Amino acid sequence: MIRRQRRAHALIWTALAVALPLALVAILANAPGGALPERAPERLDAETGG
Amino acid sequence: MSVAYRPVLWNRTKLIYDAILIAAVAAYLVIFLTVAPRLSPEAAAISFPIYRMRAFGTCAFLLLTMVLAIGPLARLDTRFLPLLYNRRHFGVVTFLVAASHAGAVLAWYYAFSPTPQLDALFLSNTSFSRVAGFPFELFGVFALLVLAVMAVTSHDFWLSFLTPPVWKTLHMGVYAAWAAVVLHVTLGPLASGGNPALLALVAGGVAVVVTLHVLAGRREAARDGVPSPQPDGWIDIGDLRDIPEGRAITGAAPGGERIAVFRFKGHLSALSGVCSHQMGPVGEGKVVLGSVTCPWHGYQYRLEDGCSPPPFKERLRKYHVRLQGTQVQVDPVALPLGTRVPPLAIPVPEGRA
Repeated sequence: MIRRQRRAHALIWTALAVALPLALVAILANAPGGALPERAPERLDAETGG
Repeated sequence: MSVAYRPVLWNRTKLIYDAILIAAVAAYLVIFLTVAPRLSPEAAAISFPIYRMRAFGTCAFLLLTMVLAIGPLARLDTRFLPLLYNRRHFGVVTFLVAASHAGAVLAWYYAFSPTPQLDALFLSNTSFSRVAGFPFELFGVFALLVLAVMAVTSHDFWLSFLTPPVWKTLHMGVYAAWAAVVLHVTLGPLASGGNPALLALVAGGVAVVVTLHVLAGRREAARDGVPSPQPDGWIDIGDLRDIPEGRAITGAAPGGERIAVFRFKGHLSALSGVCSHQMGPVGEGKVVLGSVTCPWHGYQYRLEDGCSPPPFKERLRKYHVRLQGTQVQVDPVALPLGTRVPPLAIPVPEGRA
């Protein structure tokens, strides 16, 4: 790669290193199957199996 | 190197590379489609059309992740260079597997409606404001289009036609394609309760690829550091004693490109450190049969004028080089292509002549 592309590469991957994990966490946290119940009693119920 | 364009320029190394690649893909698909359902009741419960699209989809994700890991791996450890040699075929196989996945999806989810399949794909779901049910297929379509463009333009004809800098920039589109695939899988199967194995595959793939690229980028940035030039504008490249026979040390011109100084048979020669083929790190190559040989694809250049041996026509720029004691210095002003500069003789210490 030439210098300009090396700089672009570094910029792109630094941005992806920040954005992609955040996007994954945000998506999965907001997905119906992956989100924890918002109300504490429901979490406790889930933990105790009750 | 080639002087004429052929559809594929085969050699023994490429044949072995492709055979291993195709065998690995075939083995993955066979195991996924025939062995896994016998071992896992959950897998056996999934209908075959859906299971088939998962087989091709996960295979394509794995291949694309590996394609993206090869570059930084080869930069960080030269033992991975053989993987880089035929990476374009790896990319074409990835596109074909991804296209098979897309074909399997179209042939199932969109095949039983009077609406044309592509119309249904783009228009049937407009839930852009929700995570659950987001039209994640669009990310897959985008990635497939990018992979298609890259597969079509992967041949050396397009490399020459577009020029290496433009071609390389175009093929950096694979980064966007990979990010789109990650979002495609996350918003699709993972957001709708995908299994832990798929989550581990995606999270692990993201961690590995991002880490490798960031590490390789930091290393490259460190190599681009430029020492203060001499009063006459020449720059220090390094110490003569650090150059092994047949190898080079590299430095960077202020605001310019990398320069490689090769040591061969008691002489020094300075050339551009960027290969004119795919802009590989020719300064990390070695002298083979009297010519500098790029470690990526074996393109060769003569030490005295930077030209490829006939009948090939690739050329590298030459630079003037001098010695101050054991310090190797280079005039960072590149000479016109094809300029002949006799290699600089390394003085033999007294008593050893």
